Amino acid sequence: MPLNIDFQQVLLHLFNFVVLFGGLYFLLYKPIRAFMDKREGTYSNMQEKATKALAEAEALKQEYQEKLKEAEADIAEMKRKAEGEIQEARESELEEARKEAREIMAKAHREAMQEKDKVMHQARKEVRQLAEDATRKLAGRSLLDLYDQFLDQAEGNEPHETP
Amino acid sequence: MKGKTKKLYLLVLAVISIALLAGSLLTPGMAKHESIQEAMKDAVLHESNRIALFGMEVNPALLSDLILVGTLLLAAVMIRLFVIPKFRDKPGRFQLLLEAWVGLFTGMAKENSPHRNQALGGYIFFAGSWIFISTCFELLGIQGVTTEGASISLPAPLSDINGAIAMGVMSFLFILIGGIVANGARGAGSALKEFSLPISMSFRLFGALLSGLMVTELVYYTISLSILLPVFVGIMFTLIHAVIQAYVLTMLTSVFYGEVTEPPHPKAKAEHA
Repeated sequence: MPLNIDFQQVLLHLFNFVVLFGGLYFLLYKPIRAFMDKREGTYSNMQEKATKALAEAEALKQEYQEKLKEAEADIAEMKRKAEGEIQEARESELEEARKEAREIMAKAHREAMQEKDKVMHQARKEVRQLAEDATRKLAGRSLLDLYDQFLDQAEGNEPHETP
Repeated sequence: MKGKTKKLYLLVLAVISIALLAGSLLTPGMAKHESIQEAMKDAVLHESNRIALFGMEVNPALLSDLILVGTLLLAAVMIRLFVIPKFRDKPGRFQLLLEAWVGLFTGMAKENSPHRNQALGGYIFFAGSWIFISTCFELLGIQGVTTEGASISLPAPLSDINGAIAMGVMSFLFILIGGIVANGARGAGSALKEFSLPISMSFRLFGALLSGLMVTELVYYTISLSILLPVFVGIMFTLIHAVIQAYVLTMLTSVFYGEVTEPPHPKAKAEHA
């Protein structure tokens, strides 16, 4: 054969190559690739899970932010309502207090007037009594004095003690 | 190390080297049993310097082939039994090397044959590893004894035309089988269309490895060229063409495999109809 080609040796080489191909494929290539694929799969899953978790977290964050906004709006509304109610209650209480104060004042005024009237009445009464007493005394003294004078004269210059 | 001691060591080393060089040039060597023409012719044709193997007279490359196949299979078994079960998610150095080696061919297979690449990855892993390691094998200079009783350095298996033909034919058969499995008769037709592929693959491998072998033979043949030069010629040339040939054959195989296993395009069918 040209170039010393020997088919027997070609076949022997081929036999060796086939054996080596099978050996390397099943002993090294397949298990190493399986390990690498498995690890890649694990990391892909982890990445997928992480991406999913991140997306969920983002969605949750968005949701919470929206809820937070709603809650803030609710709180603001409630605060506004509460402030309004407080204002109303305060005004109502103030009004009641004013009313009560007015009533107290009116009552006090009334009582003061009654007291005044009573005092005036009493005073008048006392003045009248005094006047009467005074009148009576004035009138009574003069009669007694005359009576005493009479008796003194009658009994002899001895002044008679008036009771 | 102090400066003076260092200089002394270097001086002693230089004196020993010069003495050895002078001795090797002045000592009469053994008579060459073949001329440079005969050495070159033998490198190509392997007509002389044959080796006895299991009662047959074969080219020395077949013995290299057997030694390498046995060694690689033994290494594969050891790795399978003692290394792969201890693989961890965070790889060590050796695991990293193995993964990078497998990943290199897996990536090439996926790139050139995206639709079908499991077996292709395994094949080019074998072929690339084989071409690289077997080419580097000639650097070891393992000695064999010829039927004439002379000692020869065992060559790379692929520097023998029979080994190169076997590799080329096997690659073609792999492509053909892949085409048949993937696309039936259509795949077989596309593979057979490239009937020159096994010949071109075989002779490309043979030529590349033979040229390296001939250059090194030439260098080693002349004693005046055997100072320092073999370090570059022997090692660098061998390593470079080991890498290049491994890359070329695996790339060609994966490209052709990708073409013949490609699923038919529905558009082309519609146009044809």
